[in-house]
Amino acid sequence: MSSLKISNVRKTWQGERGLAVEAIQDASLEVSSGEFVAILGPSGCGKSTLLELCAGLEPVSGGEILIDGERVSGPNPKAVMVFQEHSLFPWLNVEQNVGFGLKMKGVHIDERWRRCREVLERVKLAKFAKHFPHQLSGGMKQRVAIARALVGQPDFMLMDEPFAALDFQTRVLMQQFLLEVWSGFRSTILFVTHQIDEAVALADRVVVMSAAPGRVLEEVKIGLPRPRSMTDPRFNDYRVRLTAHMEREVMRAAEVL
Amino acid sequence: MQAVLRSAAAALLPWLVLVALWEFAAARGWMTTTLFPPPSQFLQYAIESDFRVGFGKEGMPIPAAIVASSLRVVAGLFLGFVAAVATGILVSMSRWASAAVLPIVRGLAPIAPIAWIPIGIVIFGLGNPTAVFVVFTGVYFLLTLSTVAAVQSVEPRLVKTARTFGASKGQVWAWVIFPAVLPQVFTMLRINFFAAWMAVLAAEMVGLKNGVGMIVILGREMFNPNLIMLGICIIGVTGYAVDALLLFIQRKILWWKPAE
Repeated sequence: MSSLKISNVRKTWQGERGLAVEAIQDASLEVSSGEFVAILGPSGCGKSTLLELCAGLEPVSGGEILIDGERVSGPNPKAVMVFQEHSLFPWLNVEQNVGFGLKMKGVHIDERWRRCREVLERVKLAKFAKHFPHQLSGGMKQRVAIARALVGQPDFMLMDEPFAALDFQTRVLMQQFLLEVWSGFRSTILFVTHQIDEAVALADRVVVMSAAPGRVLEEVKIGLPRPRSMTDPRFNDYRVRLTAHMEREVMRAAEVL
Repeated sequence: MQAVLRSAAAALLPWLVLVALWEFAAARGWMTTTLFPPPSQFLQYAIESDFRVGFGKEGMPIPAAIVASSLRVVAGLFLGFVAAVATGILVSMSRWASAAVLPIVRGLAPIAPIAWIPIGIVIFGLGNPTAVFVVFTGVYFLLTLSTVAAVQSVEPRLVKTARTFGASKGQVWAWVIFPAVLPQVFTMLRINFFAAWMAVLAAEMVGLKNGVGMIVILGREMFNPNLIMLGICIIGVTGYAVDALLLFIQRKILWWKPAE
């Protein structure tokens, strides 16, 4: 069983000439094994920063993050990150991109290809193993990015607005795809988004963050069975509730500027 | 294949028109053909002289001259590229190294490759190493600077991605930053190729006494306009061919953009 515990985390960016910017003020959150948690907040509220802290890419300025009871102090193979776009290595083909993490860990080449093939089969990209990123559509690139994260069988997938750059139709398909994959692999997912519909459609629980500096404002459990339909009246109830929060925070963010 | 032929034909057509006008003007007597011989004349001269230029110790076959000059420039470019990428990356790895090395590189980069010729002759004497040295210095400092700039412009997301997959610092340099900077630095190499090519020819003219640059100088010394025109044509065509080779490498081998 894996667990992620964020307690009273603060993050301050040290800017030029001693100018400090407070990105996260006081964030606490617990995620249990196999859960799908969406972090919802206005742009610039520090939600991506929170993910990078969980991934160990940046040190916290205060508080602590525990993965399975261990303090996060650097990149951790248990928690991998999936970025918005442009995160595939353009000089590597699909197969090599997916095998990148395994290669860094020194997994033998035969084992590497076997596992890459397996994951590519599951994300239905086996036919494109030898293609390069620029030959793929936006949705396919993100499927490769997800496959690359899954191949190392991480306990946590930290997803930073992974579908934000996609058009509406592709985004909806990718959301379905992610749910299918998730039900197969059962990684715990922490999913950052600024789109209310996306959060309600995907997550077990939605965490609403305030405008900068980021705090956790509210947690909403989404008690809808999957697959969820956007036309379901209960879907709409959640949407209305979260929209009210978001509106307030967006206005607050605008005032700060 | 058809596309290649078509683009080759498209590149050749303006030249054919130019040559035709030149021949026409020469035939009508609008140009002094003794001073500005048209291609029909200097090419015929090349055939008649059995594709050899010069006499005795200074004599050499034209193909050998082309090969010698091309190898010099390609060797200098290759060494300069490899050394510059290595230096640029190593220097970028440490703030201290950048502070110590970059001001010197910045001071040496603006020096025209031709200015290095006397130094090269003093150090290496009259021979191939001098020509390679001149090309090398002509590209090395500039490419080191562009490697440093390219390292700074590597998409941070690629570095973060590598780190999240457990890549160590060294692995990030080797598997992410190194391949990410190659295309950009190679583009700079191609831009600077012409200056390097001119430097080789200048070195051949003033000191080495062989290669394509020498053909023009022989022509001057012997008051032979045919040889001068022939030399100029060979310089142009050979430079074009090497540039085409670089373009091929750029498009087929180092084709990726920094962020895709």
